[in-house]
Amino acid sequence: MREVELLIIGSGPAGLCAAISAASSGASVLILERSFKPGGQLIKQTHMFFGSESQYASYRGVDIADILIEKLGEYGERIELMLNATAVGFYEDNVVTVLKDEKEYFKIKARSVICATGAFEKSLAFPNNDLPGIYGAGAVQTLMNVYGIRPGNRVLMVGAGNIGVIVSYQLMQAGIEVAAVLDAAPRIGAYLVHASKLARMGVPILTSHTVKEAIGKDCLEAAIVCEVDERFDPIPGTEKRFDVDVLCISVGLSPLNELLAMRGVEMKYVPQLSGSVPMRSESCETCIPGIFVAGDASGIEEASSAMAEGYLAGLCAAAKLGHASEDFEQRRSEYLKQLEDLRSGPVGERIRAGMKISQL
Amino acid sequence: MFEKTGVATREMVITKFPPIERINKGPVAVVECYQKIPCNPCQTACPCGAIRIGEDINEIPQRDESLCTGCGICVAKCPGLSIMIVDGSKSEKTVEFRIPYEFMPLPVAGERVVGLDRAGKPVCEATVKRVMNPPSFDRTPVITLEVDRAYLYDFRNFRREA
Amino acid sequence: MDENTIICRCSDVTLKEIRELISQGYVTYDEIKRLTRIGMGPCQGKTCGQLVLREIAAATGQSIADLSFHNIRPPVVGVKLHLIAEEAEKHED
Repeated sequence: MREVELLIIGSGPAGLCAAISAASSGASVLILERSFKPGGQLIKQTHMFFGSESQYASYRGVDIADILIEKLGEYGERIELMLNATAVGFYEDNVVTVLKDEKEYFKIKARSVICATGAFEKSLAFPNNDLPGIYGAGAVQTLMNVYGIRPGNRVLMVGAGNIGVIVSYQLMQAGIEVAAVLDAAPRIGAYLVHASKLARMGVPILTSHTVKEAIGKDCLEAAIVCEVDERFDPIPGTEKRFDVDVLCISVGLSPLNELLAMRGVEMKYVPQLSGSVPMRSESCETCIPGIFVAGDASGIEEASSAMAEGYLAGLCAAAKLGHASEDFEQRRSEYLKQLEDLRSGPVGERIRAGMKISQL
Repeated sequence: MFEKTGVATREMVITKFPPIERINKGPVAVVECYQKIPCNPCQTACPCGAIRIGEDINEIPQRDESLCTGCGICVAKCPGLSIMIVDGSKSEKTVEFRIPYEFMPLPVAGERVVGLDRAGKPVCEATVKRVMNPPSFDRTPVITLEVDRAYLYDFRNFRREA
Repeated sequence: MDENTIICRCSDVTLKEIRELISQGYVTYDEIKRLTRIGMGPCQGKTCGQLVLREIAAATGQSIADLSFHNIRPPVVGVKLHLIAEEAEKHED
């Protein structure tokens, strides 16, 4: 069985930063990436990122992926990146089973593991929600920005969080009409600058609205939406029809961390972090020594915090393996400070509350 | 209302504009950032120290109109595309706007376009004066448009004629 | 309309079926899983999980945080059995 010092599962913003951080401290790293391309969700983020210089603010996500991947190369053989490789099981003694290229299945034993597996799109229950033409917003973004495929001609976006409004904007950039953006909440969840970008393109954002039903025979032809009251119950008589061939569902993400759950890591359902998350220390270490978590797998946040968490987890995992860099304390407090800064404002309130509940 | 529609009210917009005397002197940045979010590239990008956020990156940027030269470097750097440059020094009748515009195909200098407000409603005519898209703007082109002064607080976007 | 609302895309289970089971007293994810195969398809409950838990919570007055999900077991995605067998044989030598 192959043995590795540090196994990082996932090469999104958290995984890549964890690898760079750990390798720069002297650890040997193997990264597993289930896709054919490293970068996770970064590879389809064509918009500029928020945050500060330390998290490459005002660079586009897709370019941040390139920058981070190039950095991996600086560590030569100390970092190995395995593509098309999905971690499918996580057992006692840190044995991870891997499915590679759909045709090889093998085990890897790791001294330490960082789980940076990201998130999964939440779905929504409404009549005819299985009609072709109804997609997750992330799926539409992948179709457009990774594969260059138009998902349709006229889109109704359900969800006015950051993903919903950003994907709507990118749909318009691709020349696709966006009929409206809905959200059941009474207020726009996205950063308002993103919402304003859409609003001034003439796209109505309808808060306190939900999708009541999808209509179509073989594929989506229209969607009926209605207003909801403060208890999110539909208000009769407020129905409106949108003739659209695409309905995009963007009602949030759930942390994807089933590998940690099956390994026996203590988990907790934390609504502020959008789902079940591992309990962890300030250094991103779970209740099982040597097993760390970073990025959306530890709770849904922005890519900027995923990068800072990745750096922190990589640094601390390496130190635990005996690769404490001379500037360990300085770097550790710097990453913690970055996370504190990113979470300190009003939009970070939920995250701060969630972090408190999920700390070991 | 802003939190429901994404459309800032006129009162909110006016607070972000410097006095008209300053606009008439020459180009100056209008930073339409109304919400505390963790973001500070405008401060980092400004070569004049005219945009300040401070230690806490969640603070709302403050633009000092006496330091701002209207160079426009911040326009393409703001991830929220919330910054534009206004210049009232060129003519008594019109004002020039420099706004970020990330849609293809780009307009061309001299083109007449439809001026839109913050809700995307047509409000005026506008003339494209210049299209800037250098590598340093990193694929956020900045378009200079001439607009009647009456629409100083309304104009925010444009649409090309079909 | 509940019969046209799909909760589990993997096994084509509708909201109507889920609500009927809940009304019959099946108020845990695991029970409903055993009766309908939710959570046993390619997504392993990632799509239906929150939707079903929300239905149970609404019907029983509990909070989602207090409800238990199913035990998560490997593999997280489908693996062809011959690949597992071949790997096992390697280690017998």
